[in-house]
Amino acid sequence: MKQAAPAGAVRIALLGNPNTGKSTIFNRLTGLRQHIANYPGITVEKKVGAMELGGRQVELSDLPGTYSLAAASPDERVVMDALGGRFGHQAPDLIVCVVDATNIKRNMLLVSQAAELCIPMVVVLNQWDAAKRNGIEIDEALLSDRLGVPVIPTVAKRGKGLENLINALVRAIEDPRWIPRIQWPEFIGAARDIVRDGLAHLGVDVTGPEALRMVFDADSAFADKIGHKGKLSSLRKAARETIRSHGMNPASAEAVLHYSHLDALLVGVLGGDGMVARTRSSIDSLLLNRVWGTLIFFGVMSVVFQSLYAWASPVMSLIESGSEWVQAAVSPALAGTPMIQSLVSDGIIAGVGGVLVFLPQILLLFLFIAVLEDTGYLARAAFLMDKLFGWCGLNGKSFVPLLSGYACSVPGVMAARTLEDPKARITTILMTPFMSCSARLPVYVLLIGAFVEPSHGPIVAGWTLFLMHFVGAAVAMPLAWFMNRWVLRLKPLPFILEMPDYRVPTLRNVTIRMWERGREFVVRAGTLILAFSVILWALLYFPRPESVAKTMREAFLATQSAADVATALSDPNSGLSIKLARRIDGAYIAQSYLGQFGTAVQPAFDLAGFDWKITVSILSSFPAREVFVSTLGVIYNLDADAGNEATDLRSILAKEKWHSGPRAGQPVYTLPVVFALMAFFALCMQCGATVTVIAKELNWKWAAGSFVTMTTLAWGAAVAIYQIGSRL
Amino acid sequence: MIPLTACRNGRSFQAMKKLGEIHHFGMLNIVSITSDCTCAGRLAALGFLPGCRVRISRIAPLGDPISIQIGGQEISVRRAEADLIEVEEAG
Repeated sequence: MKQAAPAGAVRIALLGNPNTGKSTIFNRLTGLRQHIANYPGITVEKKVGAMELGGRQVELSDLPGTYSLAAASPDERVVMDALGGRFGHQAPDLIVCVVDATNIKRNMLLVSQAAELCIPMVVVLNQWDAAKRNGIEIDEALLSDRLGVPVIPTVAKRGKGLENLINALVRAIEDPRWIPRIQWPEFIGAARDIVRDGLAHLGVDVTGPEALRMVFDADSAFADKIGHKGKLSSLRKAARETIRSHGMNPASAEAVLHYSHLDALLVGVLGGDGMVARTRSSIDSLLLNRVWGTLIFFGVMSVVFQSLYAWASPVMSLIESGSEWVQAAVSPALAGTPMIQSLVSDGIIAGVGGVLVFLPQILLLFLFIAVLEDTGYLARAAFLMDKLFGWCGLNGKSFVPLLSGYACSVPGVMAARTLEDPKARITTILMTPFMSCSARLPVYVLLIGAFVEPSHGPIVAGWTLFLMHFVGAAVAMPLAWFMNRWVLRLKPLPFILEMPDYRVPTLRNVTIRMWERGREFVVRAGTLILAFSVILWALLYFPRPESVAKTMREAFLATQSAADVATALSDPNSGLSIKLARRIDGAYIAQSYLGQFGTAVQPAFDLAGFDWKITVSILSSFPAREVFVSTLGVIYNLDADAGNEATDLRSILAKEKWHSGPRAGQPVYTLPVVFALMAFFALCMQCGATVTVIAKELNWKWAAGSFVTMTTLAWGAAVAIYQIGSRL
Repeated sequence: MIPLTACRNGRSFQAMKKLGEIHHFGMLNIVSITSDCTCAGRLAALGFLPGCRVRISRIAPLGDPISIQIGGQEISVRRAEADLIEVEEAG
């Protein structure tokens, strides 16, 4: 599916405004013969599909939705590069421009801009039925006549008109047609020539349309890539000055001229009085109402959250017990080679399970996002919430990723794709891991249950648990503000959002979205997460000198009476044998590379009041923080089959005392230590999967930065809490 | 083609306001776009052009952003961005 298009394939690009049903047409035409890749160097999705038209292979690409070729966001920059065949792109042989029939004039701006590029075109008038319902009459034959290219009405959602579209595409490949270019006033031509000729002197050849983009766009994406920064900027300034001297604002000149050209072109094409979609305005009065709208918003979001938090968990535990079952089934076959057995069972199978366990939440979240986006509600939700997030550089669309982060950061980080503004998107992605995910809960429950509840009662314990969920967010928001102001040197995009018409989502689009995301996670992030799982296994397994087991065995046996030992140890399932095995496991962890590393960094954690057992447990839970409780269990030699490890652990932790050092004889877990430990978990990036997904969504630099920052913050907070707390 | 400054001639400056400062739902005329930044270009591409009739149709619960009716569409903008657009009350 991923191979390059065969030589001689016709390249067709789908161009259009957001919310026009462009992707629905793409899905209809290609079905599942599509794949997502990133455009080179940036995280903008490139959706490419294969189809056959009149016996010829066709590579169909779905360009990001854009209102104009004037590029502001990375998505929009890609469109101009792809159409112009620049910077590693190949120009398409044919453009299919998808126009929303309910809003023809605004949509036609992009058509008019694209006509400049002299690429054959076919125009699709999608949502034809909605236009009819809104009372808009369109004379498509006249429009086709005026444009000189085929104009095909469709209702892509129901598959209507697609036959006609396919036929038109077949004809267009054989007999290409072009839309006549707009006649620019002379001064625009002069402004264009200033830039084009100026660049020609520098030995850089650009086409007329490319030169125009550099004139019209205040932050021209194109100009950024050409080089000759200083010279080009003065050329552009001169060109824009020419436009200004003719009484026009260079920022709006292009739109003004195109729209007046379109006004003339559309005379007689558009009829009827339908201007306002009435259903939209009546639904909006409810959904955007100050009181009801806000209540409904929180209602909708609580369903999303509940589904991630609670509904996904049965499937997740099914996956977990499934991987345990496979471990149990495979292990005996490899019993002869303990190293391979451990690698397969604890490294590979556990790793695969550790990847698959994220799938239920990812699929559910993208089910909701697809439905919310396709119905048009996501834009309303962003409108309602924007002010809450705007001050720290996020925007209204950050809400869903951050909320998802409370269930799990992995789908949350992936959900940040709904943000077009790269600055807000990066900030949202980096803040998501601070949200208190469900894997932190067992740690809070264990520590609060063991140390806060007995001394302060269940009410204080309940409040402590509740407040712990906001520690991360309380740190993240000011951090976002700081980053936005001082670190991220990107221009923020204006938060301009179209409120699309309300629509019923189609099962087809929703399932394709879920399928794409699920597959992408497993293929792109899953393989890496698995690799990390194996590496961690190795760090916990090796060097594994046999002397460790021998010493532990002798020490253990010395404490038992000789009579018991002989009979008990002959049976590997006896209590004594299991106890011994756990002791040996614990000793191996202490002796492993990770354990040695733990001893080495112990002085740093000592400042937070942690003993080596806590330190090693923390280190082993860096790939996945939920491991913490079970590692503590292994280190404290608990019976694995006890089932309720947490309850047993509570009493053991409560009794744990320093064996040596200045605090010998004192309990390890005092309240300052407990809170230092919980703060550490609230802030620390102990999740290999999240780091990997951040790296895949942004890059490894951001992933590493996020890891280092969160870990440092966590350590700093733990030390501060312990040092201050123990002096009070 | 409507020149940028033409609308100012013969009209009093008093009547002109920034769109971001409007708090009612009455009809407005766009007089000019006062900046030549990317954001202004984006607004122009969406149809915010001198001479257009617009109306604030909704205000978000926290007062910002605002949703603006223009043509058959509704566009949500923050007040800071709406400030780039100069309007007058439509009589």
